[in-house]
Amino acid sequence: MQKLLNITLNDLRVIFRDRGIWINLVLVPAALVFIIGLANGGFVTETTPRLRVDVIDYDGSALATQFLADLRAANDTLVLCPLDNDAEDFCRLRAGASERTLDEDLARQRLINRDALALLIIPQGFEANMQAGTPASIIYRSDEEANAPSLIQQAVQAVVQRTGGALVAERVGLDVADSLEILQFSDTADRDDFGQQIFTRAQALWAENLVTVNFTLNDAIERQLSPRQQGFGQSTAGMGSMYVMFTVFGALVVLIDERKQWTLQRLVMMPVARWQLLGGKMLSRFIMGMIQYAVAFAVGAFMGVNFGRDPLAIVALMVSFTLCITALAFLLATFMRSSEQASSVSLLFILTLAPLGGAWWPLDIVPEWMRTLGHISPIAWVMDGFRALLYFNGDLSTVVTPLLVLLGAGAVFFALAVRRFRYE
Amino acid sequence: MPETMVQARGLVKTYRRKDGSTVEAVRNIDLDIYKGEIFSLLGPNGAGKSTTISMISGLIEPTAGDAQIARYSITKQPMEAKKLLGIVPQDIALYPTLSARQNLDFFGRMYGLGGAELHKRIDEVLDFIDLKERQKDRIDTFSGGMKRRVNIGVGLLHRPQLVYMDEPTVGIDPQNRRRILDTVFRLRDEQKMTVLYTTHLMEESQELSDRVGIIDHGKIIALGTVGELVQKVGEEDRLILKVGQQKIAAEVLERLKQVEQVTSALYDPPQQAAEGADEATDGVITVFAKRGRRALPDVIQIANDASIDVLSVEVREPDLEAVFLHLTGRALRD
Ligand SMILES: Nc1ncnc2c1ncn2[C@@H]1O[C@H](COP(=O)(O)OP(=O)(O)O)[C@@H](O)[C@H]1O
Ligand SMILES: [Mg+2]
Repeated sequence: MQKLLNITLNDLRVIFRDRGIWINLVLVPAALVFIIGLANGGFVTETTPRLRVDVIDYDGSALATQFLADLRAANDTLVLCPLDNDAEDFCRLRAGASERTLDEDLARQRLINRDALALLIIPQGFEANMQAGTPASIIYRSDEEANAPSLIQQAVQAVVQRTGGALVAERVGLDVADSLEILQFSDTADRDDFGQQIFTRAQALWAENLVTVNFTLNDAIERQLSPRQQGFGQSTAGMGSMYVMFTVFGALVVLIDERKQWTLQRLVMMPVARWQLLGGKMLSRFIMGMIQYAVAFAVGAFMGVNFGRDPLAIVALMVSFTLCITALAFLLATFMRSSEQASSVSLLFILTLAPLGGAWWPLDIVPEWMRTLGHISPIAWVMDGFRALLYFNGDLSTVVTPLLVLLGAGAVFFALAVRRFRYE
Repeated sequence: MPETMVQARGLVKTYRRKDGSTVEAVRNIDLDIYKGEIFSLLGPNGAGKSTTISMISGLIEPTAGDAQIARYSITKQPMEAKKLLGIVPQDIALYPTLSARQNLDFFGRMYGLGGAELHKRIDEVLDFIDLKERQKDRIDTFSGGMKRRVNIGVGLLHRPQLVYMDEPTVGIDPQNRRRILDTVFRLRDEQKMTVLYTTHLMEESQELSDRVGIIDHGKIIALGTVGELVQKVGEEDRLILKVGQQKIAAEVLERLKQVEQVTSALYDPPQQAAEGADEATDGVITVFAKRGRRALPDVIQIANDASIDVLSVEVREPDLEAVFLHLTGRALRD
């Protein structure tokens, strides 16, 4: 381990010997975070974005209506389609104003096309079942790859809990009332009224109790989806990740140079194990990548980007992306024969994978097929993760998929790189 | 029987080119290097010297065969074997932007040195290569000879029992060359190290070696002390006639062989300055004769008769060059 760390330290020493490093490590990335942030609307005043949620209400009851109203109130970025559609067809139902309705087939298709991010189905008998105390369910569907659903799901769950809880309270109250002789209702309307009062009261109590949930959701959405957050959040994460690639891919040229200047061969002829040598070289690149992320995010913080509520998740994303890219760089390095080839291959990889993966602009403005294709780029996955954290207030559990994909791909690249690596 | 430091058996290296053809860089080399000796591998460029060193130092895997460094197999126990080895590669293998001391420090750590011991060894090595004053300067500010000396120093840090030096004098001025040759003697005599030294210069080989292996086309074609090898060509002198770019007919050589005292005559045609930066070389007629000076007038006469314009004539006592020429029919030149 000592030798591995010495190799890493020596690499870092060599890297920082070159004064030009600061241009690539700080100056250019900072400028790009700023410019790309502006291009993505960093200083434009814009209304908060709205998220489409399809709703099919088979029940049409008062409780269902109440439920939907609560849902709107829980998170005012949600637009329930087709109920809340506007004259411009914000819901993208693509039909004449009178025919903008929704059935399950269409709704399923819309999920796939991402016209809507989630679908709620309130089944027939929802209210009746709830009041009878028999289980009633609301069907919730979303495309798991999208970033927003965790947020929508949280809002739905909060409202479901509240509604459920209020109903339970109402039932308990009525049962108690029925069993007490002093409390006599003049008629059923009176009894219903009493029930309704308890329901309202209970709901209010629930709302109070759930104030934290409410607060997080509303506050987060309002604060985080400001244009500044969107523009510079995009450029910090995007340019940061792209520059991590540049920094880490420097290994391609460096390994060729070290072969040319024979220092690599000298190391091989010394009592240094393969894992120490490769490990040391990879660790130094990994550290450089993390420094690069730190620089980009520092610039982002300076521009006023809010990094959400889970810094650990941010770091986890940075670590897994940098690991993945480091392994990829060392795999590619095994194919390189000259520094010229190495620099042009690096450039080619970075300048296709970065925009394809949504480093320059958010992937939700590109067509579906491009978004899918874009996910061959590790950047697409890390950007999914960053967006979930920066825009949609996610936490570590929200970004598990990107983390696993990046680490998995990294492991495969690593295995191939180690197998292919030759010193000659 | 002296103790063996390096024992190589059946070493083969076949490189595969991109176009599918193969290069047999080393073909079945056996080698024994004894403890405390300076052994030199002498051979022209491309003979397979560096490839051999690379195999017995664990840099490249042999296509066949193995080598033992003090009984440790370089292929099966590479870590143990490498610990005993100090390497001075043919190319300068240093970090150009780091200082001499930083280079020594880093590579010393790779040999497992550290702390006060490392510090002391670096000072000693800097003394030994006479670069104490420049230790803080970057390698890329050094002259070729100074770089060569640091390159050597790195290989000596951990007091190896065995040092490989692959053409350590290539491309440096005579003064620095002298210095390096003296260093090699000091390694053997003061530090009791075993040295494997490769060169394409027969003068170096002749001066330094306790024993010499002559290598050509990936094979060891002669092995022994300088004296033993020279005896192979007998007591013959060599007459070297530079003849420029002229064509030499085969019957001229036949006629030369008829001269009294002469045992053989060879013609090495001129080489164009195509490959590398080498200048074009003159054609050379080499005549082996028991008593060179006696045969000289007749030899010149024959050249005159054949209207060959002789640019220069030289008479040489038996040496390794003669051995090489004798064995291969080619001159040993860069
Ligand atoms: N990596 C390689 N690939 C293909 N051929 C090689 C390689 N390395 C060396 N050779 C060839 O092997 C032969 C021996 O080379 P080398 O050992 O470097 O000779 P020397 O050190 O005696 O000058 C040469 O013909 C050289 O071209
Ligand atoms: Mg060589």
